[in-house]
Amino acid sequence: MSQQDTLNPIAPLEAPASVRKPRRKRSRTPQEGQKASVWVYIGVFIALALFGIPFIWILLTSVATQQQFAEGALALLDLSSPAWSNFYEAVTRIDFGAYTINTIFLSTITAVLTTLSSATVGFAFARLRAPGKNALFTVILATMLIPSIATLIPTYILFARVGLTNTYWPWVLWGIAGTPYLIFLFRQFFSAIPIELEDAAIIDGAGWFRSYIFIFLPLARPAILTSLLLSFTWTWGDYLAPALLLNLKNTTLAVATAAGYLDPRGEGIVTVQAAGAVLYLLPVVIVFLFTQKYFMGSGLGSSVKG
Amino acid sequence: MTTEAMTTVSSRSAAAAVAGTSTRGRGWRRYRARTFYLFASPWILGFIFLTLAPILYALAVSFTNYDGASPLWRWVGLRNYVELFTSSPAVWQSLLRTFIYASIVVPLSVVGGLYLAVLVNRRIRARGAIRAIFFLPSVVPIVATAIMWRLMFNRDAGFINGLIVLFGGEKQAWLADPLSFYALIVMSLWGLGGGMIICLAALQDVPAELEEAAKIDGAGTLRVIWNITIPMISPVLYFLVITGIIGALQVLVQPLLLVETNKMAQSALVPQSSTLYMVHVYNEFFTNHRFGFGSAMLWVFFILILALTLIIQKMSKRFVYYNVDSDTSNER
Repeated sequence: MSQQDTLNPIAPLEAPASVRKPRRKRSRTPQEGQKASVWVYIGVFIALALFGIPFIWILLTSVATQQQFAEGALALLDLSSPAWSNFYEAVTRIDFGAYTINTIFLSTITAVLTTLSSATVGFAFARLRAPGKNALFTVILATMLIPSIATLIPTYILFARVGLTNTYWPWVLWGIAGTPYLIFLFRQFFSAIPIELEDAAIIDGAGWFRSYIFIFLPLARPAILTSLLLSFTWTWGDYLAPALLLNLKNTTLAVATAAGYLDPRGEGIVTVQAAGAVLYLLPVVIVFLFTQKYFMGSGLGSSVKG
Repeated sequence: MTTEAMTTVSSRSAAAAVAGTSTRGRGWRRYRARTFYLFASPWILGFIFLTLAPILYALAVSFTNYDGASPLWRWVGLRNYVELFTSSPAVWQSLLRTFIYASIVVPLSVVGGLYLAVLVNRRIRARGAIRAIFFLPSVVPIVATAIMWRLMFNRDAGFINGLIVLFGGEKQAWLADPLSFYALIVMSLWGLGGGMIICLAALQDVPAELEEAAKIDGAGTLRVIWNITIPMISPVLYFLVITGIIGALQVLVQPLLLVETNKMAQSALVPQSSTLYMVHVYNEFFTNHRFGFGSAMLWVFFILILALTLIIQKMSKRFVYYNVDSDTSNER
């Protein structure tokens, strides 16, 4: 195996093959080798329909005219004159561009900060020993179980009292603190890197800081990518925190899409909102389709057993 | 730098092992511990100020009659808790509703996730694409999910009512009492692909020899799944049940958004039948401005979740099969 291969991670969230600990070769389960029967295909087909219909339905609604929508469900199936103007209205009726920029800005700072911080904390828990470490790790695991929504309401009251509402500072603070789930992910990743690598660095006279930055972080590229993707989409999709902490001027697309699109009488314009929701959702779907393995293989399956 | 370090690994590892033991004295250990706390400090500080502080703040507020604005609040002692336990039937109704919700959604999504995982673990066409479609709802932002299901359940132009009318039935008001509870359950189950992915990873770790041996002994597919596969992946199923229960108990945004009108996130608009416990808490805070009472409700909730987790943990020892070694060999 060449040097270059060692730096080119093969699977997301696994250390490069050359530095990975020898692991039991994954054997294919018998069902996997088995040819699927007709019943399997029928089951898959029904499930596909159940999971797919909401997507199809929102697309149909987003190109329906007000007239069609008033006529009822069957009228939506008539695609002879799709109302593309719904999409134009969706981006003009609310300040879609500004909300998009807010959302991208907020998601980016959160993703970058939380990834850096979670990697550093995860490294500490994977490679360094200190009194009290195990107790702290138990606390991390416990905070994964504490309902985050339940802490958000008192957080909001506290932040309102110290004047942090209507600013992006809460996201900066949350970013710096890291996320238990991602800390866990990085800890699993760094644990799998053999100790010899560290010894070599130490003999070369590098301290923890240098071996972390120059040896471990570059190896963690797949984990870093996963972490960036996950945390970016979390903030992009988060509703409650921006709804509580921000105002209608500086809030994110999630809140704007949910609460906007009212006509002068205060009633919702459903077809335009559907178009807005499609625009809000589309980037997530596209990013997901291109980077599925990072989402689906995000180590949950292999990490929960530890 | 990295490449260099890597080339030297094999030649130096022996030397490192020797040198390592001799240089690690007391000073080394202290340096190592200091480094640990330096590296872990962002999370430790974050935990103290962003998790612990709000929880303790809520505890303090729960002993007051604070309303969120007025400076004229005072300590009321245990009065909020007394009211909660003696004269608040609505709180207990919402709690009961939440338990019913959890006891429907959690088993169905674990079983459904496992079922889908078994399906897509077979050798079928376009397996990757099918897995992605099943998983997709779990990455869809909550606001988009809610809007999609509001359209599905729309009274006049919704898919569900369209289907009902097509078969000669009556249109139903799915997003109002009493049906909104079921609409909420359907929307929650749509996201069971997350559980599928976790089950799938577990299924692929089950040694093929075990299942083959059972097949040779004459066991059918269902029997292999029930007697071999499920016990082997029981830690993962247990994980799904625990996180599922805790997730189901704290559901808030889904019912807030799954309402008939666009004026979302006004808890007063949530129909009674989908007012789960956290929605009730949200109501006390932001509709009734009873921060003290709401905080007391939050604390009852914390303790409840803690107790529940401990109970499930105790129970799990009986039927969960563990076959894992902890991965700490490379730790210093």
